Amino acid sequence: MSYFRTRIEAIGGAVLGTSRAALELWLVYVGTIAGIVRGFSRRHGGRGRPKGELVRQLHAIGNRSLVFIIVTLGFIGMVMTYQACLQLGRVTGDYSQVGSQFLRLLISDFGPTLSGMMLATRVGAGIAAEIGSMKVTEQIDALRMSGVLPIDYLIVPRFIACVVMTLMLTVLGSMVMYAAGGLTAQYSFGVNPSTFYDLSFVRGRHLVLFVVKALAYGAAIPVVAGFCGLRARGSSEGVGWATTAAVIGSSFAVIVLDFIISAVALFLADGDL
Amino acid sequence: MIGEKTIANIGGGAVSIAQHVGGIVVLTGQVLRALIPPRIDGRELVKNLHKMGNRSVPIVALTALFAGGLMMLQSGPFVKKLGATGLAGWAAGYAVLREIGPILIALMFSGRVGANNTAELSTMTVTEQLDGLRALAIDPVKFLVVPRVIAMMVMLVALTVIGDLVALVGATVVGSALLEIDASTMYHSFADNLKPYDFLHGISKSVAFGAAIAMSSCYFGVTVRGGAVGVGRAVNAAVVAAAVSIMLLDFFITYLAG
Repeated sequence: MSYFRTRIEAIGGAVLGTSRAALELWLVYVGTIAGIVRGFSRRHGGRGRPKGELVRQLHAIGNRSLVFIIVTLGFIGMVMTYQACLQLGRVTGDYSQVGSQFLRLLISDFGPTLSGMMLATRVGAGIAAEIGSMKVTEQIDALRMSGVLPIDYLIVPRFIACVVMTLMLTVLGSMVMYAAGGLTAQYSFGVNPSTFYDLSFVRGRHLVLFVVKALAYGAAIPVVAGFCGLRARGSSEGVGWATTAAVIGSSFAVIVLDFIISAVALFLADGDL
Repeated sequence: MIGEKTIANIGGGAVSIAQHVGGIVVLTGQVLRALIPPRIDGRELVKNLHKMGNRSVPIVALTALFAGGLMMLQSGPFVKKLGATGLAGWAAGYAVLREIGPILIALMFSGRVGANNTAELSTMTVTEQLDGLRALAIDPVKFLVVPRVIAMMVMLVALTVIGDLVALVGATVVGSALLEIDASTMYHSFADNLKPYDFLHGISKSVAFGAAIAMSSCYFGVTVRGGAVGVGRAVNAAVVAAAVSIMLLDFFITYLAG
């Protein structure tokens, strides 16, 4: 009997913990949006925030991820084209559609999603580590005591910077991926660049999907990571846990958002994406 | 003046990358050296296998389910337009087994297990527990690092095997629920078009990914400096290094194995 009781208690505890976390995550999200809206009114706009904080965050999130994004997406673009050509060579030997199909997939899915996964790792971990260390050294409490909302002060600039920079890095990363794929196809399989760089399969809805996905990931990563950072407790161990949770949470958010957005788009386009 | 600063930045970056790569190679050498008479602390190994493997099954299974579904969502409409539903499993299955499955599972594993391991080891380092071990004449590499490296390599392979299967199930579910391709068509399509070699190609990748995740996470864990801030930074550096090495290894293995 007691075995079942502990089991049921464990399940109930997990459910309660998850719903409480979901509520807190929602509050962080609402707080961020409210902070941005409040920022438009002059009286409250960015109260107590040091000057140039937004620029500093844009630099920390965008410029410092540049090399990381170029290297990882360049390599994965090469691998994907290589695998696709290899398989096509076994089946049909006709490489004329590789480039145009690759571009279609790249724009509607792989470009934003892989950039999003990479940024979730790089940026999500960075935000959670920074905010988590501030939390355990009681700097967040100090902010609250001086009448500054921590979400306004810490998460809002990161949120804006991450949305802007994710879009830009996604565009850049996708271009690198496409170029790297074209070079691989040319040098390993002798595909003519003019056949590979063929834009005829791209349609307006693919570009819409690209932008929607990039914006969604850019918004999800700082909220999830900031939420994990604000929940950090204890000392150095707590910061480590928070960073781990942020990486997992934001990567998973990217995958789930990708699935939801793709499925909705498929329905809206009547199965003809 | 700006040029000088930029060059100094680039040089500094290159030096620190070289430093980390060298550190990881030295640690790998120490781990291999510790394996020469293969005496591993059994209790630590079993504890890590359970913590890293069994407790990552839910997140890996969920990731794989969505990844399989995504591949199907992307390839399905195209295959249907051509009227070749028999090829649906080929496109989704091939992408899942060779690329997306191992990479996504390795990235999630690096976030769940690698980052966690860095957090744990670096907390031990900043609280001077590693020095405590050394004072007791216990080699921290032998006692802490070796079991973790073995556990991560074994468990990433095991999780990829599970994940591949779950991803194919996810592709089938999405195919029958959203794209009206029934499960038996999908099954035959998988069975006819996927070779055992495709599966082994993915598994060979996950062995290398496991080693890369393990080495980078242990390296940044044992070399951390400076309290809570340092721990956060170490975890960040470990996941970034793991992600870069996963992509690089993926590229080289694809080229070598074909």
